[in-house]
Amino acid sequence: MKTATVALLLLVGGCSSMGVEPWERDILAKEEMQLTTDAAEGATDDHIYFSKEASSGGRAFGGGGCGCN
Amino acid sequence: MDGHSAVVAVAATKDRSISAALATATCALLGNSIPAAVEAQEEPKWDFNTSLLYYGEDENRVQDLSLKAIIRRMFVDDRSLTVSLTLDSLTGATPSGAIRQDVPQTFTRPSGNAAYEVPVGVLPLDDTFKDTRVALTGNWQQPVGDTSLINVGISASKEYDYFHLGLNGRFAKDFNKRNTTFSAGISIAQDEFDSVGGVPIPFTSMLDVGDTSNRPEASRDKDVLDVVLGLTQVISRSLVVQANYSYSSESGYLNNPYKVLSIVDGTTGDTIARTNPGPLLGPSHEFVFESRPDDRVKHSLYTQAKVFLGGKVLDTSYRYMTDDWDIESHTLDVRYRWPLSDRLYVEPHLRWYSQTEADFYRLSLVDGAPLPAFASSDYRLGAFDAITAGLKFGWKTANQNDMSIRLEWYQQAGSIPGEQLIGNQASRDNYPDLNALIVQFSYRFKL
Amino acid sequence: MGSPCELLTEATSERSARVLASVVADEAWRIEDKFSRYLDGNIVQRINSAEGAMVQVDAETAQLLDFAANLFVLSDGLFDITSGVLRRAWTFDGGSTVPDNAAIRALLPLIGWNRVIWRSPAITLLPGMEIDLGGIGKEYAVDRAILKLRAESETPCLVNLGGDLAVTGPPVRSAAWTVGIETMEPGQSDTALRLRQGALATSGDARRFVRANGVRYSHVLNPATGWPVADAATSITVAADTCVQAGMLSTLAMLKGADAEAFLDEQAEQYWCRRSS
Repeated sequence: MKTATVALLLLVGGCSSMGVEPWERDILAKEEMQLTTDAAEGATDDHIYFSKEASSGGRAFGGGGCGCN
Repeated sequence: MDGHSAVVAVAATKDRSISAALATATCALLGNSIPAAVEAQEEPKWDFNTSLLYYGEDENRVQDLSLKAIIRRMFVDDRSLTVSLTLDSLTGATPSGAIRQDVPQTFTRPSGNAAYEVPVGVLPLDDTFKDTRVALTGNWQQPVGDTSLINVGISASKEYDYFHLGLNGRFAKDFNKRNTTFSAGISIAQDEFDSVGGVPIPFTSMLDVGDTSNRPEASRDKDVLDVVLGLTQVISRSLVVQANYSYSSESGYLNNPYKVLSIVDGTTGDTIARTNPGPLLGPSHEFVFESRPDDRVKHSLYTQAKVFLGGKVLDTSYRYMTDDWDIESHTLDVRYRWPLSDRLYVEPHLRWYSQTEADFYRLSLVDGAPLPAFASSDYRLGAFDAITAGLKFGWKTANQNDMSIRLEWYQQAGSIPGEQLIGNQASRDNYPDLNALIVQFSYRFKL
Repeated sequence: MGSPCELLTEATSERSARVLASVVADEAWRIEDKFSRYLDGNIVQRINSAEGAMVQVDAETAQLLDFAANLFVLSDGLFDITSGVLRRAWTFDGGSTVPDNAAIRALLPLIGWNRVIWRSPAITLLPGMEIDLGGIGKEYAVDRAILKLRAESETPCLVNLGGDLAVTGPPVRSAAWTVGIETMEPGQSDTALRLRQGALATSGDARRFVRANGVRYSHVLNPATGWPVADAATSITVAADTCVQAGMLSTLAMLKGADAEAFLDEQAEQYWCRRSS
């Protein structure tokens, strides 16, 4: 875990040259540019695919909480 | 009218004119640039995200009508409480795990109090599938300091034969002028299978109607631990990317208590017939309940990129998953949001999914051969590819609320590893292909 | 003005943001320098130290004095830019010193716009009288800054001078500017407003009062009596087309004491009134 933390800090440090200034967030602030645009649709899809496939989650927690026959 | 009330009346008239007189006086002070009228209102405190979903599989398999409401109460300083409620009404039939035969087959229902017959050459489906599911979640979110956010939540759901209870927490911190966000989340859950008629002992036979001797326990538990570590990075004014690593560990009862495997002849591949106790009094052939390991560890890596292309937004994600059941999967998801006007957009969606089978996936078990440690013929543990193709229309209503409707087709096509096919099995369609239609209408409004 | 001055802008470069910020700062400082009664040598100082002599004023000062004269009439004398001399008797620092009635009575002859001879562009005060444009200055500076910003650029901006604020128009990146109204606790807010157009001004200050013999005296003084207005609200925020209008309505509502809400309801303006229970 310690190695992971160090690696993550390096990654964060390495990213510091990327990105935008606060006043350049016009596009990023748009609703359609949010990583999750439709919470209801996302939750629905997670649930459908959880019950039909062997994989789940990734985007967020694994979903589930069903018998899903 | 006495003198006193006359004075009050004059004052009231005067008051009413103050606003207009003040506007005139202000105009003289600031010049004649007439300002636009003030538009101020209190920030909405409620955000309602509601949807109605129809999910329907072909050939009378699972049908789901689902109602969902995600209600968010916003407080000042970015604190919020989100509560979601989902109601599912499920009907239809689901593959039992047994294979097709050239003769009719009889099965004891999961309840153990009746039997049903499956005609010649038809994929055995358990048609008593009918359930109502209620799911509730609650989450509290609030900032910590200027750059961090915490979120804690609880989830619960109840079906006729299943109960889920979970807790989750997530912490996110922004770095580097908020261009980089690190997040860590943990979720624990305890689920309970109260299977109809009791939980069958793995690898025991499907018994006659009324015989519950292989179902000593009414319910079994499963514990789930999920950990998600995420990194979001703004690359440029129009590109943001995310990478998540997820660890998931399940332990306890991981079987599906309704799934069976056919016991077949090692040469013909046909299911071994049983000395039938009589019409519809028990199974016509040998079937045993599936047996899965009692733990499973999954790792997945999820990446997402969202790019703004002159008004259009391309949203791409890829997920790789691997687990200690030897399943590997790849998921690629692409959405393209295309505005047709200020208020209307169309969004095509394509998703490809591919998984390998679990190392204990078996189409059937050979009569007389030593039992493997684990076996399941659940099609979801087999090797298959799936495609989703969809189209969504979204529009803003006159009062700035969001509505959308989406139509999606989901198709699964699986295959059985050649070495598992025995005798007559090679000439039968053993994998239950699945076609489903998804229609979802969403309405989001704020108060 | 002794309060923070803030510009929120959707400028897309640091350079253009700096240009817009200097537009606001220049205008705010110009108005401060010209009309603050604390600064030596400006027009207000010259009027206040004329000892009964007539003072000629420039066009801008004349407009402000005309405005003050209008407000005096409109408010039946409640809004009076000559009431500042009461500060010689009252100190609102959260303490418990209440001046004696004699001291206040001695100041009353020096209060009253009706005692001022105002023949634009010439003003004559009685010796010892003072005018104070502090009650208009901040709101005026906000509106002036908005006019200057509109002339300079189309970039959406919000100008905030110590809680009195206005916008040049709706923002592009979101539907509205979000403004919080402070509670009694500084820095805490319980109501968020979405402002697309217009201005907001707040009168009242939870920290400025005197408490003596179990009575809380607000800093809102009635110029006719020299005593605090009874049952004044703790703070009143009003939304209006311009910051000057919003500020005057919130000030007048404060002066109405217990009738503040009734007064604002009559005006059909949007307002948020807070009272200490």
